[in-house]
Amino acid sequence: MDRWFLIFSTLFAVIAGVWGMISVHRGSRSPWTVSWMVAVLVCQLGFLSLRGQQRAACPLADFGEILVFLSWSLTLFYLLVGPAYRISLLGVFTAPVVMVFQAVALLPGILDSQPAKIVGGNPWHETHAATSVLGYGALALAAVAGVMFLVLDRQLKEQHLKSGLFRNLPPVRELLVSLERLLWLGGGLLTIGITAGFIMPHEGAALGHLLAAVSVWSAYALLLGVKSVRGLTGRRLSLLTVALFILSLGVFAFI
Amino acid sequence: MELICLGLNHKTAPVEVRECFAVGNTKLGASSSELIAMTGVSESVVISTCNRTEFYLVGPDARLAFDRLEAHLADTIKVHHIAKPHFYRMEKSAAARHLCRVVCGLDSMMLGETEIFGQVKHAYQAALEAGSTATVLNKLFQRAFGVGKKVRTETTIQTGSTSVGNVAVDLAEKIFGHLKDSQVMILGAGEMSRITAQSLVSRGARSIFVSNRSYDRAVELANDMGGQAVRFDDWQSVLERVDIVISSTGSPHAIIRRADVEKARRARKFRPLFFIDIAVPRDIDPAVGEIEEVYLYDIDTLEQLAQEARSRRQQQIDDCERIIDAELAKLNLPGT
Repeated sequence: MDRWFLIFSTLFAVIAGVWGMISVHRGSRSPWTVSWMVAVLVCQLGFLSLRGQQRAACPLADFGEILVFLSWSLTLFYLLVGPAYRISLLGVFTAPVVMVFQAVALLPGILDSQPAKIVGGNPWHETHAATSVLGYGALALAAVAGVMFLVLDRQLKEQHLKSGLFRNLPPVRELLVSLERLLWLGGGLLTIGITAGFIMPHEGAALGHLLAAVSVWSAYALLLGVKSVRGLTGRRLSLLTVALFILSLGVFAFI
Repeated sequence: MELICLGLNHKTAPVEVRECFAVGNTKLGASSSELIAMTGVSESVVISTCNRTEFYLVGPDARLAFDRLEAHLADTIKVHHIAKPHFYRMEKSAAARHLCRVVCGLDSMMLGETEIFGQVKHAYQAALEAGSTATVLNKLFQRAFGVGKKVRTETTIQTGSTSVGNVAVDLAEKIFGHLKDSQVMILGAGEMSRITAQSLVSRGARSIFVSNRSYDRAVELANDMGGQAVRFDDWQSVLERVDIVISSTGSPHAIIRRADVEKARRARKFRPLFFIDIAVPRDIDPAVGEIEEVYLYDIDTLEQLAQEARSRRQQQIDDCERIIDAELAKLNLPGT
């Protein structure tokens, strides 16, 4: 049953992305993107709820669950940020990322087919896992906003202003403001996650994971520090946000 | 009952004639009422904008209605006999069709402009409140507004900016969103700068700095725009603060060089900067556009974008006419 939730969620993400792209190609914005993404979120909640019951804990025990939790977090932040800032096109860019993460989670062997109950769970461990992945969701959405900025920047620079995509992309300044806010939000959540990670009881094997997490946190802190103190061009900020997010996924290799 | 339309517009009459027949916004209702007081006229709406004045009347006999209206105009406006050749007369379905074309912006000076929709709506509302409309004009105007909305949603006649100033403003909004938080610097107090800056102000830009070789002219334009004059030697210091620079000086060589912008980048914290170069020869060294956060558009690019929008609108005319014909065919209006 949990897989069906995930399959439907992925299908809704495909529809949101494809439908949205077709609309944009035709020069308009699909009013349904938000609705499809709500459907994605509901199915993700169904999946996570069932897995949570099976695990009797926050469902972050295997790589597949982490990917779905990350996708849920990404969708949630899109739904909080996109409509509020009238960046509905963010959904068209977010949907493919959600689709890829969940498609990977659906690959054989990624999700435990018989999820074992977690015994002796620690609240600091769950706080660490949940807030860290939530933080990654915000950082993923920042990377999506970064990609949108790079597309718009290129079109403005090369004066290719006729496409439907150009007409529907939000303004440069709004994208950069959203990107920066998402970086602060993601960074804040990551700080809580890492702090909880240090407090929770851990074995020597977790050292690599913690070191990788601290490196990621430091890189984001440096990025935000440089942006605040010295300033950064939109292009560099976006490129670094995208690159950092891709590199930061490596943290999960140490779990 | 028969529908007639008598009017003049920017195509048939020069401004000195049009202004004689202009009716103020607050007098449209009273003007419509005056017309239904005439015998042989049962309904009326008066439309008056800067580019047209039109009288839509309904009466039992079209010829009689035309005669009464012209006599009324001759009584009230002394130059009417001189202006007579500038008027167009339409009856029945041609008049209904003309109204729809006007509402859709097909008869406007700037093809597809949207302002006319609101102006006609206001004129109709004034006539309605004055009690000078009934079945025929109520049905006709309601249908014309429906046609206007349909044309707006089903065609692209109203999309894209058709003037250099508006293209520049659209680009500024694509970069900065709402312009109310944007600061603008104008280099050169010429007419083009003024027009472009006015377009920016009309969309919300608030802080305007004007710099010109002649400081007096800078002060004059700054006062007009509610901005601040800057001595020409000091424009570089203002560059740190502004988001948009409009340059239109008469200089034979580039005024803004890459080094000038490079100097200001750090202080600006690398925020986006939009340069609009509407001078010929160009005021801004093209190398400025190579700076990462700079978007540089010159007069040729802006004019090309405006021309493309005008061409796209022209291509939509047939589609709009088809919508108008189809909608009017459904109307089956008495008097047409």
